[in-house]
Parts: sequence; C-alpha cells; structure tokens
Amino acid sequence: MTHASWPHRLAALAVTTVALALLRAGSLVPLRATAAGDSVLRLSWSARPERIEQCRRLTNAELAERPQHMRLRWECEGRFARYLLTVTIDGQVLAADTVHGGGLRHDRPMHLFREYAVAPGQRRLGIRLRRIDANVRPDSTSDQTAAGAAAADRETREAQERRVRRAEALPEVVALDTLLTVASQRVALVSYASGQQKFVLRTHD
Amino acid sequence: MRALEHTALRPLRAADAGATRLFGWRHNPLHQTGALAAALLGLLIITGLYLLVFYRVGAPWQSVARLQADPFLGRWIRSLHRFASDAMVVAVVLHAWRLFAQARSWGPRALAWTSGVVLLAVLFVSGWTGYVMVWDTFGAELAVGGARLFDALPVLSEPVRRIFAGDQSIPSAFFFINLFLHVALPLGAAAGLWIHLSRLARPALLPPRPLLYAVFGALTLLSLAAPSPLAPEASLLAVERDIPVDLFFAFWLPWANALPPWLAWMGAAGTFALAMLVPWLTRRPRTGTWTPSVVDERQCTGCNQCPQDCPWDAVSMVPREQAHGAQSTMVARVNPVRCVSCGVCAGSCAPMGVGPLGHTGRDQVAQVRQAYSNAGARELRPVAICCEHAAPEYLAALRDRDADVRLVPCAGNIHTSALELTLRAGAPGVMVFTCPPRDCRGREGPKWLHERMFNDREAELQVRVNRKRVATAVMAWGDRPAVLDAWTSFAARLKAYDALSLGQLDEPLGALCEPVPLEEPR
Repeated sequence: MTHASWPHRLAALAVTTVALALLRAGSLVPLRATAAGDSVLRLSWSARPERIEQCRRLTNAELAERPQHMRLRWECEGRFARYLLTVTIDGQVLAADTVHGGGLRHDRPMHLFREYAVAPGQRRLGIRLRRIDANVRPDSTSDQTAAGAAAADRETREAQERRVRRAEALPEVVALDTLLTVASQRVALVSYASGQQKFVLRTHD
Repeated sequence: MRALEHTALRPLRAADAGATRLFGWRHNPLHQTGALAAALLGLLIITGLYLLVFYRVGAPWQSVARLQADPFLGRWIRSLHRFASDAMVVAVVLHAWRLFAQARSWGPRALAWTSGVVLLAVLFVSGWTGYVMVWDTFGAELAVGGARLFDALPVLSEPVRRIFAGDQSIPSAFFFINLFLHVALPLGAAAGLWIHLSRLARPALLPPRPLLYAVFGALTLLSLAAPSPLAPEASLLAVERDIPVDLFFAFWLPWANALPPWLAWMGAAGTFALAMLVPWLTRRPRTGTWTPSVVDERQCTGCNQCPQDCPWDAVSMVPREQAHGAQSTMVARVNPVRCVSCGVCAGSCAPMGVGPLGHTGRDQVAQVRQAYSNAGARELRPVAICCEHAAPEYLAALRDRDADVRLVPCAGNIHTSALELTLRAGAPGVMVFTCPPRDCRGREGPKWLHERMFNDREAELQVRVNRKRVATAVMAWGDRPAVLDAWTSFAARLKAYDALSLGQLDEPLGALCEPVPLEEPR
C-alpha cells in the first residue's frame, strides 16, 4: 500500500493534527451573547393576585342542607384581579401590559419573568403594578349566629383564613421609583417581597 | 430525496478517497464511524465514572475546579471526556451521512435509522445535562437557553427561568436531576444500541485495534497538550459577553437565542420529524435490485448455511411442510421484512436454491454460460469481477489493462460455481474486487467470499479449481495504485503460470493444504 510511505505517514499525521485542532476549536467557540456594554433589567417574582369576589354569609338553614364536609359559612364567587404593569426607565415606557395569575383560569399565582436590555449608567427606574379590577359590592351578610360551638369555631377560622389570604395577596398598588446605577454587563433584579408587600431591587454589587 | 442522496454521495466518496489515501482502507475511520461512536461511548462511560467520584451537587463548579486543578489525572480526564463527546457527535453525524448517501436508510434498515436518530437526540440531551452540571458561564447559558425554550411550552405555569433569576441560589436538586440524567441517559443509550443493532448478525461494535488505539491516543494527546479550560463560575446577576461554547452540542444556542421560542421549537421538531421520515422518503419498491431473497424449497437441503451467513438474520430454518423422498425435514425461509437484498445467501447455497430474483447461483451460472456461448476460439481475457459500488474510473483503468470487467451487486453474492465455470469456459483467471470489508453494503460479503474461495467454507470453491487462477483484492475509493498493482500482479502471475504449465494440466490441490488468512500480512 502506498499509504505506508513516509510522505503519506507525515500527511496522515498532519491531517490528524488539523482534525484534532478543529475538534478543540469547535469545542471552545466564543459566543457573543450580548452586545458590548449591555446590561439587563430583570423582573422576576411570584405573587398571588388579590381575589375579587362577592361573598355571602349562608344562613343556618342553608348550611344544614349541605353535606357535612361542605359547610363553609361564607360562600364566595369571583376571580383573581388583573394588574397593569408599567415599567419606565428615565421616563421612557418599556412596558405597559396587563398581567394576571397563572394557569388557564388565571387562578394560580402570578409568575412573572421579564428582561429588558438597558444601557449602563444612572437611570431612574419606575415600576408600578396597579390593580385593574375592583370590588364593586360589599359582602352580603346574614345576622344569624352560628349554631353550636363547632360551627362558631369554624366560622372564626374561615374569617382568619380569608384575612391571611388577603394579606398575602398583592396590594392594590405596588410601586418602585428609584435611582438605579446599572453597571456594564450587570443585571438589576427586581423581585417582590410578599412579607413587606413591596418591590426589592438587587444588583450584582 | 434520491437526488439528495446522490448529492451526499459525491463528497462522501471524495472524503473516503482522501482518508483511504492517508490511512489505508483498513484504518479508514470514515468506514467505521458507527463502531467508533460505540467505542467513544465506552470511553465516555469510563472517564465519566472517574469524574462522577469527584462531582458534588452542592458545589458543582467548585468540584469541577478542583478536578481541573489536578494536573495529573483530573484535568486531562475531564478534557478527554469532553473531547471524546465531541468526537462522538462527529462520528454519529458522519455515520448518518454515510448511510443516507449510500441509500442504507430505508426498508429493513428503517429501525436502525430511526433508533439512531433517537440515540442522537439522547446524545444531545445528555451533553446538555453534562455541560449544565459544570455550572460555568457556558453551563448557565445552556440552562437559561433550555429554560427559555421549555417555558414556551404550556406545561408549567411558573416559568422555569425563575430558577435562574438570581434572587436565590440554584437548588442542589437541580444539579442532582442533571447528574441523574447525565448518568441515566448514556446508560439508556447503551441499551438503545441493542435496538439499533437488533437486525444485524454479528455487529462490529469496535473498530480494528490499531484504529481504536490511534483515536483514543490522539484524543488523549489532545487532552494532555491542550486541555479544555474551565470557564468562570456562572453568576446569574452578570451578563456574560463572550462565552466559550461547545458548538458540537450547543450549535442550536445562537438560533434559539435569536429566534422566538415557538420558531425554535418548530425548527427542532421539524428537523427531528424530517430525520425520522427519511426511511419513508427514501424507500424503494421491492423489485429489481431491491427484491428480497427467495428460497427454492425443492433445492434446499436444510444445510443451515444461509442462516449462518446472512448478515441481517433474515434467514431461518423452519420445518418443511411436505417432505418428499430424501428431502430434508428443515427448510430455509427468508423474512422479506429483514432482507436487504444483498444476495450473500446466494453465495452461501451449494445447491443454488436461495437468493434475490435474478441473482441466485443458478442465475449467475446462466449468465456465465451466456457470456461465453459465443466466445468461439478467440483468446479469452482474465476476468475482473467487481462490486457495482466500486469506483467506475477504476473499472475503466482495469479495462485498459486487458481485463474483462463484470459487475455484481455484492462480492458476497458470487457463487463459487460461477467462478469455476468462468475458468472452465476458458478464462485464464478470475480476480474478484470487493469493497473494503468495513464498507461492504452487504456487511460481510468480502469475508464470506474469501472463506468460500480459500478456506473451504460452504459453498466452497471446489478442490478441482486451481487456486493460482483465482484471487481477491480490495477496490477502495482513493486506492487506485493498489487496485492496479493487484491486477497487474495477478495478470503477470497468470502469464508466468501459463508459460510454465504450457501443455500441462493444472495442479489444483496444492493451494488447499493450508487455510489462507482473511487479510494479507502487512
């Protein structure tokens, strides 16, 4: 075979070396992920929208008609509120969208993840999340007292649970208006702290 | 699609020719891409087991950095693992390209093709998990890119990207899942190989040792001389400008970042669907060249040779329904779903009772008789029987050197009776040119032909045939000098022999004393 000659062996060695070099080069290709100098404003949170509902206090007779495991004193119908999200940088509107809860029926927590490219430097950042839907009628009540101690205790727990849910939900308006110093190649992260019901800004530094 | 096959064949032949010139047909890596991919999978599992010992899901980047800092083993084994995975992608893609270009993607081979496409997808997902596990800037970019695509699917109401927002550390469970998948997927791929090869008899899982050692050695040298660097640890609150990306596994990343997720998904799904549909798009009617083998049960002696020789496990022995007289109780039966029409069974059947229509031993004998019926008293030339997949320009060169060139679908198809009849008809000699053994479309044609001609394998070339007048040689793309040398030597040998034995009978028995090795000593 002619390939066993020295020139062929040297050529085979050279081709193998080039193939290996190409393999290594293909394994370490620098990818330009962003334009030079770009920074990112990232909004990321999970929050429960406020429930817009009309509640009615059932009478003792109505409760008695229901199976044991369905005897909730307060019967509520409604949906979760929608919010208007407005994001501005130096007065320029980056977004003004309606956002709502997750899931097909929008009855899950509102999960939000957005990114906006921003130029580095000192910027005035404005983020405002304002509830669009509002309660229109007060809850209707019945003046009957709960029948029995167990029913009274359950009613108290119901009221407590509703208070907790309301406290955990997004308030009518959450806003952040701050001077933001964005460094080059850095992310400014805005998340929502449900305990304090306010936006929290974090930067790399 | 056929036009695409022809288009793909041209560069493949050029690449084959180049590789054969450089490495010889025995060690042409392009002929053994499938076996190389399987061998590289083995290497990946071995190096991966070593890396697994040191990996920590609680501190992924730090554990890899510790490995990287070890100059004796850790750094080069990690690099070897990475480069071997890249080489495996190259081997698998070349393997698919070869089979597509050679029209070996449809019919009985459809299962191998479709399972191969799935295995390639598994390889890419496994690579994705491996790079994410490192949690350097490239790993984070892959994770975020993957999450971005996943979030476009209506599966979870909470975006997966929120994990990578930067407001909390990445949970260890994420890295544990990646680790689990990175171990489970290659093991699953190893099991998937069983399906991929299930229609092959005696699959070649490893390349020849010299090639195996050369590939592993070259990758090891590369890992020692230029180890893969470790990118900085991922920071989710930093925007990386230049990320070192492994394009073999992340070729989709620039597109996925630039395109809307739904468009990226459509592109990926469309590519996958198209790849899976290739067997359907390239199928041929099972007539003519592609007709499956049939058994003439009247001729079948139940010798069990064709099931042993069939490279596709397409022939089996079944009880004969009605045995007459001295007929055997068992008879061969061809499963047309598994038969690729290579015709190797035709060469294996001594009574010439099996083979694709038009290519059985009887058909071959009839063709030889027809060819020599009008020969008369004119001097006959030596015959060169070539596989029809051989290089056409080499055939012309053989004709220029006074060869009577005949084409067959596969060298393994040739019945030894046809060879004998050719000599008895007056041809001074017959040389059979086969494809390189690892590039035979009938898989084992050259091997079985050689064994039948020289090592007494059923249906053997009869003792009465003078072995000095028959020979085999390999006709590989790019090895024209060797082809012509083989022919010139054979023709010279015939002339010398004829001069010596002028007026005397041939002495055929001498050549049968010792088995002839399959490959000539190098």
